[in-house]
Amino acid sequence: MTRPISRRRALAGLGAIAASSGCLGRSRNLAGRGMSSQLSLQIDAVPADRDPNAIRIARHLAENLKAVGVDARINTLDRTTLWRKVLINQNFDAYVGQFLESEPFDPDAMYAFTHSKFAAEVGRQNPFGFADLNGVDDALERQRRTEEDRHEPAAELQRSLSELQPFTVVAFPDPLTAIREERFDGWNQRQPLTVSGLLSLDRTDASGGSADDDRSADDVDEFLDGDGGNATAAAEELFGGDAAAEASTTLRLVTTDSGITENWNPIAAEYRRQGTFTSLLYDRLVLIDSGDVVPWLATDWDRVGPETVEVSLRDATWHDGEPLTADDVAFTYEFLRDTSMGSMETPVPTPRFRGRSSVVESALAVDDQTVRLGVESVNRAVIVRALRVPILPAHVWSDRTGAATLAGFEIDAETTEAVVSPNEDPVGSGPIQFVEATAEESAVFERNPDHFLARSKERDGEASGGAAAGVPERFRGKPAFDRLEIGVVPSDIAAVQMVGDGFADATVSTLGPDAIPRIGREADARLVTGRSGAFYHVGYNARRAPLSNPRFRGVLASLIDKETLVEEAFDGYAEPASSPLAASPQWVPDDLLWDERSSDPVHPFAGDAGTGSLDVERARELLRDAGYRFDGEGRLLAGQQ
Amino acid sequence: MSPFVSVVGSVLLWLCASLFVAAIAIVRPNRLYGLWGNVVPRLRDARRELLALGVVLLVSAVGRGSLQTISELFGLRLTGFIWALEGNFVAWLQQAFATPELTMYFSSVYVYGYAFLLAFPFLAYLALPKTATLRRLLVAYAFNYAIGLVLYTVVFAHGPRNLNVGTSLLYTHNPEFSALTSAVNETTNVFPSLHTSLSVTVATFAVLTREEYPLWTPLAVWLAGSVVIATMYLGIHWLTDVVGGTILAFGCVYFSHRIVDPDETA
Repeated sequence: MTRPISRRRALAGLGAIAASSGCLGRSRNLAGRGMSSQLSLQIDAVPADRDPNAIRIARHLAENLKAVGVDARINTLDRTTLWRKVLINQNFDAYVGQFLESEPFDPDAMYAFTHSKFAAEVGRQNPFGFADLNGVDDALERQRRTEEDRHEPAAELQRSLSELQPFTVVAFPDPLTAIREERFDGWNQRQPLTVSGLLSLDRTDASGGSADDDRSADDVDEFLDGDGGNATAAAEELFGGDAAAEASTTLRLVTTDSGITENWNPIAAEYRRQGTFTSLLYDRLVLIDSGDVVPWLATDWDRVGPETVEVSLRDATWHDGEPLTADDVAFTYEFLRDTSMGSMETPVPTPRFRGRSSVVESALAVDDQTVRLGVESVNRAVIVRALRVPILPAHVWSDRTGAATLAGFEIDAETTEAVVSPNEDPVGSGPIQFVEATAEESAVFERNPDHFLARSKERDGEASGGAAAGVPERFRGKPAFDRLEIGVVPSDIAAVQMVGDGFADATVSTLGPDAIPRIGREADARLVTGRSGAFYHVGYNARRAPLSNPRFRGVLASLIDKETLVEEAFDGYAEPASSPLAASPQWVPDDLLWDERSSDPVHPFAGDAGTGSLDVERARELLRDAGYRFDGEGRLLAGQQ
Repeated sequence: MSPFVSVVGSVLLWLCASLFVAAIAIVRPNRLYGLWGNVVPRLRDARRELLALGVVLLVSAVGRGSLQTISELFGLRLTGFIWALEGNFVAWLQQAFATPELTMYFSSVYVYGYAFLLAFPFLAYLALPKTATLRRLLVAYAFNYAIGLVLYTVVFAHGPRNLNVGTSLLYTHNPEFSALTSAVNETTNVFPSLHTSLSVTVATFAVLTREEYPLWTPLAVWLAGSVVIATMYLGIHWLTDVVGGTILAFGCVYFSHRIVDPDETA
């Protein structure tokens, strides 16, 4: 992180002085000391085409860092390369990214993110290498175990995180989506693009009949005669659909994230963000729908002992026709803790779902439909989180437990095939199944007719829900589409244009301030927004000096004017925040609530908050107070590392 | 019609129309008439150069994806370096000069003007009785693409709009163009600017052949200058890319003259 050139030059000079003066002892002492040089920091972010907001945060921080005398550089990387660098190789200084949860979340989501026991692991868990044994770790453990008063440890957790800043929370973005209601309606106003949001959609009359009737030929003809004909033809050209009737019940989404067109591995940290599409491929035991727990692959679950949970499974099959049994569930939990299934010297945990898999210590199939999970003495909310992992087919993944090889060579003894596999032709049990994909262009899925949601309307009466007992009425008989096509577009603006022109029904990816006004200009497009848990943050590599120093990270937090960023980078479509739990305000102590503040309560902006103008002298004073020094030209000095 | 098909269609239509007009106005009917019957022998004369250009374009089309992956994994990540080098020059350029009319002008020049600028010299020099200029042009094109491809692989950098230095005027106002540009190029292929290098190559040739086509020289210089400014004005390229592209262009013209000897026979 430092530049050695000045040191070499200085040493050469010192050598000359030493030789002439003869005072060798003193010179040796001086020359033997490492020279200080300007601190340089690299901020990694994806380019504006991929995420228009992240790059604005990176620019803001880089410019303020430069102003106080740090040699700040922005490094733009494509999404998978960025996450590979940060999560897998861990050779970064700071990154700008979004948290993985699409909805407001439980405090236990911080367990994997910040617990020190994951600092040495590779993956989404603790990417910072951060460790605070008595504060953060202790609070994380206590909020897991106490049933009554989780607020106290949750508040302490947030205070510790705010003080120590392993990452700086910037803002919670509004999950903006441009939609078209011509063919599908029932877009969830708060969470349009989550699993429950996509499954709640209904066909409109224009899309060729409602979900529970067979489409009549008349409807299709009428549809083709109407204005929709052009859009259908266009959709065929873009996505290569072959029949107009088929295209009419296709849900078409556009995104700038090509991850789902080239990798379908639900545990791949560098390809998955919120994992919406892999969650539609791989059912979980329970689903969270606007805060309510919905029994999903599990019909029921009971705490049969203080440390045992018994889960009853629904009648289900895998996409390849094999039956889904309790053995698959037991396999999944063991596999998430060790993807080598005991075949390697040390366990190779998954790079995702670590917080959840750490709850379940053992899993045993009692019979085909019942699985018994051994859990630590944790509270109900934590168990519910632990039930939300993708259930994987043992007959597919048990072949991937060996060490990963490249052309027959073992590259890394600590990686299994399961972690690096792109998981082509994914076999899940979810409401959609994989059809085909063209890398960086499109991915196509189709409705799984054997799924319990699809079966629930066919065989059984509506009163009981039959195959989908316990699932809310609006999910039964869903999904409303026969095909789901995801197209990759070059930018957020192009995505909005596709929706406006009728080539797509909704945008999936983040929309920036340049794209939003365009939605208003498109007659048939509408803006839907809700509340997201995917807060933007700047993450620091606490393995590297001076980022290892919480005082230094605190000053970095003071260089970020969250209020201004929300206004300028997000065009107001975000909420500035201090706590990572700000989307669930019931957990946030009053002293960390943002409310009417204009600046962070713990690390206020070192300048005129809300205007973005940094008070350079004040920021430098903060750094001096933290023990840092500047040279004559105002450059922040870093010791040799 | 999908955005890609409609953009390609309109570029082709416009290109054919402008080539027709320019051929009559600049090449003149008598030379075009002389072209009749001489096309095949002249093309045969330039077959090695045509083949070389064809191979380079084919390699570029086929290998671009895998070279991009290599660049992503092992390339020099220079976006931050370039930004540190030139700062917010592109943003300043936009703030100082951007008007809706200019944006429209530069967007059209960037797409339509550029296509014409590259295609017309091929026709014009094919109409000359001696094929040396044609062959030099083809060699220069091949060099531009080949060296450009190597540099694209070595350097991994995003353009200014991706760092939010300036805005993406081209795509904000004409998102349909992004369907075309994303099909023929990667967003990380910014250094050097091939728009700049090929335009400057054409303009240099136009200056060198001013006696044959006196009308073409000012038009080519004007168009090339517009394309060069457009790459920065639209937020696509850094000033550094443009400087790199210009150096590449002069180098390619120089080498094309070293490699291809003037015709001995008439």
